[in-house]
Parts: sequence; structure tokens; C-alpha cells
Amino acid sequence: MSVLRLDHVSVLYGRVSAVSDVSLAVDEGEIFALVGESGCGKTTLAMSIMGLLPRAAAVAGTIEFLGRDLTALGEEERAALRGDRISMVFQDPASALDPAFSVGEQIAETIRAHKRVGLREAKARALRLLEEVGIPDAPRRYRDPPHRFSGGMQQRVVIATALANEPALLIADEPTAALDVTIQAQILDLMRELRRRHRTTILLIAHDFGVVAQLCDRAGVLYAGQLVEVAPVGALFAESRHPYTAALLGALPSAEHARGALPAAPGQVPDLVSPPPGCRFQPRCPLRRAECDLVPPLAPVGDHLTACWATPETQALGRELAIAGGGA
Amino acid sequence: MTAATVALRHVRPRELTARLGGRQAAAGIGILVVLILVALLAPVLAPHSPDAIDADHILAGPSWSHPFGFDALGRDVLSRVLFAYRASLGVSIGAVALALALGLPIGIVAGYFGGVVDNLLMRPIDLLLALPALLLAISLISITGPGELVALFAIATIYLPILARVVRSSVLAVSRELYVEGARARGVSHARTIWSHVVPNALGPAVVQASVLAGFALQIEAALSFLGLGAQPPTPSLGLMLADGYQVLQQAPWADIFPGLAIAITVVAFNLVGDGLRSKLDPRGISG
Repeated sequence: MSVLRLDHVSVLYGRVSAVSDVSLAVDEGEIFALVGESGCGKTTLAMSIMGLLPRAAAVAGTIEFLGRDLTALGEEERAALRGDRISMVFQDPASALDPAFSVGEQIAETIRAHKRVGLREAKARALRLLEEVGIPDAPRRYRDPPHRFSGGMQQRVVIATALANEPALLIADEPTAALDVTIQAQILDLMRELRRRHRTTILLIAHDFGVVAQLCDRAGVLYAGQLVEVAPVGALFAESRHPYTAALLGALPSAEHARGALPAAPGQVPDLVSPPPGCRFQPRCPLRRAECDLVPPLAPVGDHLTACWATPETQALGRELAIAGGGA
Repeated sequence: MTAATVALRHVRPRELTARLGGRQAAAGIGILVVLILVALLAPVLAPHSPDAIDADHILAGPSWSHPFGFDALGRDVLSRVLFAYRASLGVSIGAVALALALGLPIGIVAGYFGGVVDNLLMRPIDLLLALPALLLAISLISITGPGELVALFAIATIYLPILARVVRSSVLAVSRELYVEGARARGVSHARTIWSHVVPNALGPAVVQASVLAGFALQIEAALSFLGLGAQPPTPSLGLMLADGYQVLQQAPWADIFPGLAIAITVVAFNLVGDGLRSKLDPRGISG
């Protein structure tokens, strides 16, 4: 059963089309990665699931969480879900924790925001959480303010806070981007372990393919607000079907081209106020063709889902949709 | 819960100095506590009546029984200084407390919600900035007659917009911090987010400003009394004594110097508190 199902979700900030027609489903216990460059809409998508977009943002489409359409809920109902059934880990743990509060109190506060429990009970639970995420000597450190913790330990605290009410869905927005590589590996281990223990569904937002490869089951690639490819992580790395994914993976530094400039797709990410029609990658695409002015559908290609007119499956699906829709 | 009480929870005695904001602030608070006690206990501490006139010792110099000497009316300067702390500290601390009591909620709400709420609350407050302190005091006096309370209200009115603006701007900055959004992402309500995440982090600049303003209030009170708009004779106030003593500075400097020193010590104490808190209330500061 899918915990999260996005159906034709678009987000507009005024005239800026930040997310365009994204549909995807994440299954229970799955770790799903959203990857893409800065500004491709990853965080906007996460915030639209949380219901924390700025007031100026307009969301279209449906966001189903455990069968309920979140976009139809009022602010109060959404606040009740936040931190309880859906929670979030932010990129920079140092600024995600309130410097004036002890780490333990922040976890206890999260529990008490959603559950009718006393201070003592909340504290006991917070201590168990701190121990679970691997804070050594948790009872003594409960009262310490965040700045007495290292970056990695702070991120563990943030994760403990996010897990406080055993959420069904954990959204992690580049949880390791602010940490160095060894600490990064520890945090990834921790998340893997938590998924195994609680079957928490994790939506990971990342631009680091190393992190995605180590942690995730499936990944969706976003480009300029469009979802261009979804595939199991292994398949995505082994054989990318979409020319943007191929270009992105081609630009990764590796042992083969340790010297010289990395290959990069020509051109720039389009202006999202007036993006190109159809596929937004087409101005930079080596496989560009006439159909690209229409938005390509995500078509199953092997175990991938790919939205590119250059693949026969997308073409076939496009023809089907055109017939079903009475021509386009 | 204010930042001070957050900082003061779970205090162990040996940490008291650090909790009060380091040696500086602790010294300032210590001096202020002594001065407040002096003001409260003036009837017990003062060796003489502050109003008793000894016509034989007009402008007489310091002696063992009258260590601060006599003023132009033959009154004991030490006793008058002790009693003067009542009016002076009362006016300065009272004015700042009143300005804080009104300015904090206004600044917090304006800064957190912004937009229309901000404009509705802050524009009238800004109008107050246009009122000169002395004119305001004079117009108040024309309604109520002179006195310490009038001085207190006049000073509070000048301080209200200053404190409200300081609070508003720091709340504005703190509200955009990730941990405030983080609290919202954990499902914490607006009211609780303001109370436990925005206010404790935003209060620092206001507390620092308030302690410095309290020092200035003493000087404004002195100026108002100098013009005859503050405390009324024979009630002693430090400003009034400074004004009176000024006229006999050449013959009897003690009548002016001791009230002046009393003002200086108080202002220094307020500033010590302000400076100490400034470094202490940055929660990530090294002193924390």
C-alpha cells in the first residue's frame, strides 16, 4: 500500500512554476529519493507535503497520505499531522534546533504537542529516543543545549525529534549535506536501522548520488519542476533512460575521468517564469525531436518510468493517451 | 517564561555568577540590589531626617556625623541621597517596566505576524517617536500637576516605541529562523511557538536595551526635576539635588558631587547589567 501518493501536483509561486505535474507513489517502508539540482523543486515538493509552503504558493493536484487528500484538509488538521504522522528532518541541524532550549525538551515538546502525556512521561520517552538514535550518556545530555553537540550528534537529535511520535512518513531534506563524510555514513546507517525497526517510510531529498545509492530503494529525478524518471536505484545508476539523468550521472566525478573537465550538459536550467513548452530539458537535450514541445508522459520502460519522447515506450503511451483524450 | 527565567532554571549556587551573565552583569545586579535595598530601607539607614533643617550648618562640609555634608538649606546630604533613591529608582525602573509591559507584547505580535498586523500596531507606536520628552511631560503636567508619577509616565511614553521597535525587529529575525519553522514542522501551535521558541530567543536585545534605558531614565528624571517637572520639593530626588547643588558648587561641592556620584553609580550598574546580558543572552555565545 502506498503511504504517499502525489497525483498531478503542481506548485506555483506567483508566476514561477516551481513544480509541474508531478505524480508518484511511495510504498510503506520504502526509502524513496527525490534527486535533482538546486532549484528543481525537491524542497518545494517536500514542503507541499508538509503543508509548510509560504502563503503565496498555490498547489494544484492531490497529495494523498494514507488515503487522505492532504490538500483538502484545513490548517488545523494539517498541523495535527505534522510532527505526528508526517515529520521532517532539515538540512542544517545547527539551525533546526532552538539554541535556547535543551535538546531533550525539544523532543518532549514534540511529544506533548500531539499526545496527552505528562512531563515525566514525555521526558522518559524523549530519553528513550535519544538513546535509540545513539546519543551516548543520554540522561546527562538531556538538559544540554544544542550548541554543546557536534553536527552529527545534532542531526541525531533532529532525527529523534522527527521520530518522537513514530511517524508513518519521514521527510529528510538533505539530512547529511551539512555533515562530513564519515558522520554522513553514520547518519545513513541510523536511518537504515530506523526503517528496519519501525518500517518508517522515508522520502529523502538529495543531490548527492552517493547518499542515494547507499540508502534508497527507488529514486525519482526532477528537472526544473518536472519528474523525468523514476527507477529502482540500482537500475537508475546502471542504465539511465532519460537523457537528463544520463547527463547528470555523466557529470559525476569518477576514477575514469579523474583529470580534465567533467562532462556537462550544454546550456542552463530554464527560467521557471517562462519555461520551454513540453519537456523542460529539450533546449539542452541531445535527443531533441519535434514531439518535445508536448509534455511527455511517464511510461514504464523495463523497471524504469521515463518521460522522454525519444523512448519508444513513451511514444506508444503518448499515442494511447492522445487517442483516449481525443487527440492532442 | 522570559529568557531570564529560562536561564535561571536549575541553578546551582556556584553557577549563579555565570547564570546572571558573567562577572559584569553579576556586579551590576549586585549594585542595583544594594541600591534598591537602600531605597527601601532609607528610613532605617538614614542617620537624620531628610527634611530636617539645621540653620547653623548651612553648606557645612562633611563631618563624622554628617559624612556627605549639608546642603543650602542645612539638610543632611547623606540622608537626602538615601531617600532620593526612592524617587529616582522608582521612576527609572517603573518607567522601563511600564514601557516593557506594553512594548513587549506589541513588538512580539507585530514582528511574528508581520503584514497588516505589523502596520496596525507599529504605525501608532511610531507616532510616539515624534513627541519630545519634555513637551510631553509639560502637557501631562498641565493635566495632572507635577510629580514623580508624571515623570514616570512621560519617560515610559518615550521608551515604549523604542522598546517595541527593538522587540519587533528581533522577533522578525528570529521568526525566520529554521528552528521556528522546525517547531511548526513538529506540529507546535502558533501560540506555543511564539512563547517558547520566538520570545526566549528574541528577548535578549530588548533586555539589554531596557537596562541601558533604565540608566538614561535616571538622567531624564534628573532633567525633568531640574526643570521642576519631576519630584517636587521637599521630596528628594537625585536630579533635584543635582540641580540645587549646582548653584552652590563653588562654596559646597559636596552638595552636588554626592548626588552626582549616586547617579553615576546607578547608571554604571545599569550599563554593567546591559553589557553583561548582551553577551550572555546570545545563546550560542562562548559564555553560555
